[in-house]
Amino acid sequence: MRFWGVRIGSIALAIGGCLLLQVIAEGSLTDYWKRLLLLASLYVTLSVSLNLINGITGQFSIGHAAFYQVGAYTSGFLTVTYYKTHQVNMPPVLWLLLMIVVGGFFAGIAGFVVGAPSLRLRGDYLAIVTLGFGEILRIFTQNIKEVGLAYGFSIDPKIFYVSMGWMLAVFAIALCRNLLKTAHGLQFLAVREDEIASLAMGVNIKRTKIAAFVIGSALAGAAGAILAHGEGFINNQTFGMDVSFIILTMVVLGGTGSITGSVISAIALFALPEILRSLKDSAGDPLKVTAAWFIALFIASIAAIAVLKRLSDHYHGPKQKKVLYGFGSVLGAIALQWILTKTFSQIPSLVTADKTYEIGTLRMVLFAGTLVFAMLLKPKGLMGHREFSIGNLGGLLGPKPESPGVEH
Amino acid sequence: MDYIAATGGFVWPDLPQQIANGILLGAIYSLIALGYTMVYGVLRLINFAHGEVFMLGAYIALFVSWAFGFSPAGLANNPDPKSSVFVLGVMLIASMVGCALIGVLIERFAYRPMRNQPRIASLITAIGISLLIQFGGTFVLPVSPQPNINETVNPFSGTQQITFKPAPAALYALEKTKTAELVQATKEFNAVFEKEKKERKIASKFQLSPEGAAIRDRQANVEKELNDARGKISQQSIGISLPNGQLIMFGTSIGLMLILRQMVMKTRTGRAMRAASHDFDSAQLMGINVNTVVTVTFVIGSALAGAGAMMNATFLSTPLTTFYGVNPGVKAFVAAVLGGIGNIPGAVLGGILMGLSEALVAWAGYGPYKDAVAFVILIVVLLFRPGGLLGSSKVEKV
Repeated sequence: MRFWGVRIGSIALAIGGCLLLQVIAEGSLTDYWKRLLLLASLYVTLSVSLNLINGITGQFSIGHAAFYQVGAYTSGFLTVTYYKTHQVNMPPVLWLLLMIVVGGFFAGIAGFVVGAPSLRLRGDYLAIVTLGFGEILRIFTQNIKEVGLAYGFSIDPKIFYVSMGWMLAVFAIALCRNLLKTAHGLQFLAVREDEIASLAMGVNIKRTKIAAFVIGSALAGAAGAILAHGEGFINNQTFGMDVSFIILTMVVLGGTGSITGSVISAIALFALPEILRSLKDSAGDPLKVTAAWFIALFIASIAAIAVLKRLSDHYHGPKQKKVLYGFGSVLGAIALQWILTKTFSQIPSLVTADKTYEIGTLRMVLFAGTLVFAMLLKPKGLMGHREFSIGNLGGLLGPKPESPGVEH
Repeated sequence: MDYIAATGGFVWPDLPQQIANGILLGAIYSLIALGYTMVYGVLRLINFAHGEVFMLGAYIALFVSWAFGFSPAGLANNPDPKSSVFVLGVMLIASMVGCALIGVLIERFAYRPMRNQPRIASLITAIGISLLIQFGGTFVLPVSPQPNINETVNPFSGTQQITFKPAPAALYALEKTKTAELVQATKEFNAVFEKEKKERKIASKFQLSPEGAAIRDRQANVEKELNDARGKISQQSIGISLPNGQLIMFGTSIGLMLILRQMVMKTRTGRAMRAASHDFDSAQLMGINVNTVVTVTFVIGSALAGAGAMMNATFLSTPLTTFYGVNPGVKAFVAAVLGGIGNIPGAVLGGILMGLSEALVAWAGYGPYKDAVAFVILIVVLLFRPGGLLGSSKVEKV
């Protein structure tokens, strides 16, 4: 009885939470922030679903945006063709649910198509095939008149529900988490760790790999359906190679194989550029920085990385001291940045108006910089293979047990 | 690199021209693909920043050409600066050296710290570096208005014609008479124009007196007929016309590849590279300084990309942006995988196949799909030969 109590209770809690979020969003947020909230949920779904393929099953897929696109385009196209012209008497919520399923279904088929060659290919070859699939899809859709060529097409009616995005995200997280607790799920991990050993133990490798691809891409397709209906307009630019790379980055930065890591880094990496864009100075204009500030930031962060890297690789003292030194060097870097900014500001050519940028325009540079520095500092990602739970919080400062699992 | 024009579908006389275009384009792809394949061979790392090294090489060539007076400001001062082989040579060397330096710096500060980490982490670092250069570059490099290397920097203007099947002889005769007529008509026109300029103080040829205007119109008419005749000749003859610049580009690429081959097969460094590529750890145990090998690999790979970039930007005079390297980079990467990544002849073969397929798809009238077809070919090849065309797919042993 307790078993079912916990299950039903947590499901109700999750749905309730999402609906509460919807109520809060509708009540107090502007359209801009509501849109960001929805997009954040989609990135969580995308990153968790790619983590299933990439992190948990160890199949090197770097073209995840393709499945996102399949879901968005198929569901969007169906809505455009059928919803208004055929007078479908269905409330928008139900229609959106149906479209999520349809988008997921078609993306799942695409996942099967891409997953099948993965039986013969491995590593970088698989990576280039997944990337290539994305490019092929992108180029073909931009030559199809029915979906607006390269200009994209509008989806009418626009169906926007923040709660739907977050429910999908929670569903994706729950699916992956629960999968790993079953015998079927352990097969995914086994394939990642050692294909030959798991084959010897009776794991059906082909089925496992294809299952990972189908589940992962179906989730991405469902996210695509929500995106298409939430935005009301999609085109090829939304699903380029850069989007694939961003999703991959989210997975790797969070720690390949760690679901909580994927969630945290998806939200963080999605929020970083948006926060930078929304920063305002005291007069309410977008915050501007000079070239002097930017160069100082660059030098200071290199210095900080050098010190932190040395600390993490070569310092074997007590952990508390290490954390203390770490904080110290970050503070030092901030101080260095301030001093250098003051120094460089003496050079007139670095503070002129044409060398002053809105911080929003620098966001991709800062994003890429963060990426490189984070990877140099934590090559295994924030969480490694570990998962975050209240239980290991206490171990953060004390000695921690060696994490299980072999790196691949 | 969009100089392969769509020709509207299976125009057979255009086929030799498109094949030639494809091979020339393929040579550049090969040159870039060599960088990917060598780095992959030694480090098992897809160097995503390679396309950005290519882009920076094009910019270095641009700056050198500016230093020789081919900048917009310089051309305004002196509209006809002297172009020579020397200028081209300096541009080429500067691009190669600059790119080699950039490649080594990237390797030293971004890839070397990641060498013992999971491979996907180095891949993400590579992607990060690539994004950093692309987006950071927009704040440092001139991007708006899009600069391009002025085409007058190339002293070898003109084209080479190879004719397989000439057009009917009458057309050539027509062209000859029309050329002679044009010379005559132009002479008459100039005389009238100069005369009226002096007598009636007119500024443009459209202010001529009625008699002068008749001579002007006749000259224009003859010129149009001559162009018609030339158009008909090019339609009815089968042949190839190749700009000299592209021929030089092709020759230099082939030359560099031959030098590379000699270096890899005949020198001690080359042997060390092959050993490291075969088994990195054992090579280290045998006393090979793998760090030097990796550095040399990056030097060579990046220098080749720099050479390709300089020639592409100079002889095609395409406008530069900081995203200039993305498309050639991806194509070259596909070429490297197609030939068998890690395999040097494979990269050359893959590059040529890539260029050919692109040209032929455009020739067949599917120009918009030419970028996709490269990937389709790649996937089909990988399905049947999982290690690429010349690569060997290793059987996994326990």
